[in-house]
Amino acid sequence: MTKKLLFICMAAFMVITAACSNNNNGGDTKTSNSTNTPKETAAEETTKPVEKVTFSYFNGVAAAKDTNSNETTIGKILEDQTGVNFKIEHLVGDLNTKIGTMIASNAYPDVMLPDAAIDKILDAGAFIALDDLIEQYGPNIKRVYGSYFNQMKAEDGKIYFLPFSNTVGEYIPDPNINQGAFWIQRRVLKEAGYPEIKTLDAYFDLIKNFVEKHKDEDLTGMVSLTHDWRFFATSNPPNHLAGYPNDGNVIVDMTTFDAKTYAADDNTKRWLQKLNELNADNLFDKASFVDNYDQYLAKLTSHKVVGFFDYGWQFSNAQNALKDAAKQDPTQDDFVYFPLPVTFDGQKDQYLDPPGFVKNRGLGITKSAKDPARIIQYLDNLLTDENQILQRWGIKGDTFEVDDKGRMYRTAEQIVKIDESFNEKFGFKYYSWNWPLYGNGSSLPDGNSVAPGLQPEVFQMSLTNEDKTILEKYGVKTYAELFAAPDDRPWYPAWGIPKEQGSEQQIWETKKDEITKKYFPKLVLAKPADFEKVWTEYITAFGKLDTAAYESWTTTEVKKLIEAAK
Amino acid sequence: MESKPTMTTSNLVLPKKPTGLKRFAMKLLEQRVLVLMSIPFLAWLFIFKYMPLWGWTIAFQDYKPAKSFGEQKWVGFDHFQFLFQDERFIRVLRNTLAMSGINLVLGFVTAITLALLLNEVRKVAFKRIVQTVSYLPHFISWVVAASIIQTTLSPDGIINEMLLWFGFLEKGEEILFLGIPEYFWGIFGAGSVWKDVGWNTIVYLAAMTMIDPAQYEAAEMDGAGRIKRMWYVTLPGIKPVIIVLLIMNIGYLLESGFEPQYLLGNGMNIDYSENLDIFVLKYGIAQGNYSLSIAGGMFKTIISFILLFAANNLAKRMGESRLF
Repeated sequence: MTKKLLFICMAAFMVITAACSNNNNGGDTKTSNSTNTPKETAAEETTKPVEKVTFSYFNGVAAAKDTNSNETTIGKILEDQTGVNFKIEHLVGDLNTKIGTMIASNAYPDVMLPDAAIDKILDAGAFIALDDLIEQYGPNIKRVYGSYFNQMKAEDGKIYFLPFSNTVGEYIPDPNINQGAFWIQRRVLKEAGYPEIKTLDAYFDLIKNFVEKHKDEDLTGMVSLTHDWRFFATSNPPNHLAGYPNDGNVIVDMTTFDAKTYAADDNTKRWLQKLNELNADNLFDKASFVDNYDQYLAKLTSHKVVGFFDYGWQFSNAQNALKDAAKQDPTQDDFVYFPLPVTFDGQKDQYLDPPGFVKNRGLGITKSAKDPARIIQYLDNLLTDENQILQRWGIKGDTFEVDDKGRMYRTAEQIVKIDESFNEKFGFKYYSWNWPLYGNGSSLPDGNSVAPGLQPEVFQMSLTNEDKTILEKYGVKTYAELFAAPDDRPWYPAWGIPKEQGSEQQIWETKKDEITKKYFPKLVLAKPADFEKVWTEYITAFGKLDTAAYESWTTTEVKKLIEAAK
Repeated sequence: MESKPTMTTSNLVLPKKPTGLKRFAMKLLEQRVLVLMSIPFLAWLFIFKYMPLWGWTIAFQDYKPAKSFGEQKWVGFDHFQFLFQDERFIRVLRNTLAMSGINLVLGFVTAITLALLLNEVRKVAFKRIVQTVSYLPHFISWVVAASIIQTTLSPDGIINEMLLWFGFLEKGEEILFLGIPEYFWGIFGAGSVWKDVGWNTIVYLAAMTMIDPAQYEAAEMDGAGRIKRMWYVTLPGIKPVIIVLLIMNIGYLLESGFEPQYLLGNGMNIDYSENLDIFVLKYGIAQGNYSLSIAGGMFKTIISFILLFAANNLAKRMGESRLF
């Protein structure tokens, strides 16, 4: 379950990075008309002389300098609107320890974002129910989150926190691949004449041929990430290869909506057998099973690794380093990794995330808060179109421009200007995520993307010549276009379904992790002749888990979500 | 703890020794300064060592942080049952004991040997250098130490390179040391020795300086060589220290450490690397199941307690110096 959390943090990071790195887009001068009711409230607020207050805000996800929100440009404007300042504190050290201390002492910051430890906070009853506050003060919250209210309700029917992955307006897909894909060095594709790679066999052949042709370079055909909770980078591919998105431990059948685990099914067997063959041909890096995350990233930047499966956000440090090098020296573009929508037999892939709704992360008001009404008004005020533009795009003429067609964009100078220290000073670093917002993929009423990173104009501007060349060879404008559009999955992601602390489901997941971590290496590194034997051992060990109960629990939850979404 | 002067004074003033409560009260009064001085430490002991024992009640509940003590659900020994019935528990216990055993034996033997050897070195400069070099790894955190060990043992690490170079292995046959479960205890033992051997010699070297030089001279007159002197003079001289340390360490037998196993462990060697602490972390703390972690902690404390007393008793019976 930790992975899920991580996912989310990473997602948050991506957004932040995306927001900072891309710039240009077209503008939205007129956005404001859509903003609706909330304006009134905001207006009222400003006219009334309000007493200034400071609340505390704890962020358990991001790492940044602690600050007061009114010391940033964005925060100052918001303070002028509402009279509220937040003293922002970030997590240092271990999240569970920090949250555990808060619970033990029964003293919480006014507003907090407990991320992965949210179950513990809810268990401890630290969040107050927001329903009445929203009813009274939250017209914008109602507008933005209204369609998700059913999914946000806890078992007692109340809402305790506001998640971040809601979509407002028309859905705009991410042009980059931040989710799963089979990656390959660009030079391999170049040398092979940019073939279309759809099947796992074709992908492996590509690697094999390339390594054989470059014997003297001491290349590694493939590596796989297995370290600690990141092991899912090795255990998830069978699900993707079979044409499903990352629903965690299960594949949800699209007609019956039954959730089935795949850790011991034929898909996994097929995937591991392929890796086993690859290993027998000396194309698989055995050290994959003992390397830690840092060693893995180091290998990816070493130029020696031809291909691997991973999620874009997970190896973005390595990919960014390679991309930066390629910006300095175009010949280095060969070593940048390119995503491929590989499936077992070339069936339709589902690597791209459907517009999902992550229900087990969010921001809540704690029972220690002195004045929840002021806080909820502040949060509500964030959710106007104007303030969403302020949070993500900044100030017109300073951090973005609007062209005569109303498209928002950023000039080259603005792009350069918005670096990490600018982000901190201006407040993008603190405001572009981790507050109630229009989630990623949301659009403003005039069609502009809420997230600058997802605005197509911004994306195009961030491409190098080499990027454009390879995209052109494949006849696409964005990386995402290489992949099939996501089907509608109202329960997505199934891993985001909250599980109770220490529940049967959590124990099943822990035990399953343990068994797979033990047997997958054995299966891959076994002599090909012994594969069947080890597989039988694995199935026996796996058979001891009460998988049926886990599946039926997940199926019930999935069906509930389908109902709720109707 | 009567102090002599008190005794004499009281004897002088009162020829008849007061008894019982009266005597106690008088003493208390006379030694009030001492009593006052010990109060902060008693308070510290009580607050930080005894009060937390109250928390053991959590092990018998289905503990939920949000609820007050009265609202908790009592489940008796359920959590202990879960712990002891799990087949992995035996394995985890075996690993814990094996690794601490290895640590104990290897740690003692290597540290004492190194201390004996260092004690014989006459060149002060050389001795200092050896000491400094062998202390150094102690100050590296396990996170860094584990990275060094991992890199050394990786398929393209120095050990495999050397094996290749000497022709013990063919290219492509590199050994995945951390991937072979049976090797784990050995790697752990060697790693711990490398990290702590220098540090552990300090106390023995200190003990050796207490030995009366006359004994060495006498032994030399009797014709004992260096080895004999080490065996018959130095070793018996530090025996009390060795025994006391041994007793204390036996009390820690269930503490095989956490960091090295956590950092060097992986899915492949889990059968040999997972110890009690990691097990409790995985199924207790990581899942918010505080009750289970407390049950695990209680089990450890009680066993350690028994071991400590047993070892102390044994030492007493054998007529050796002991802890208490």
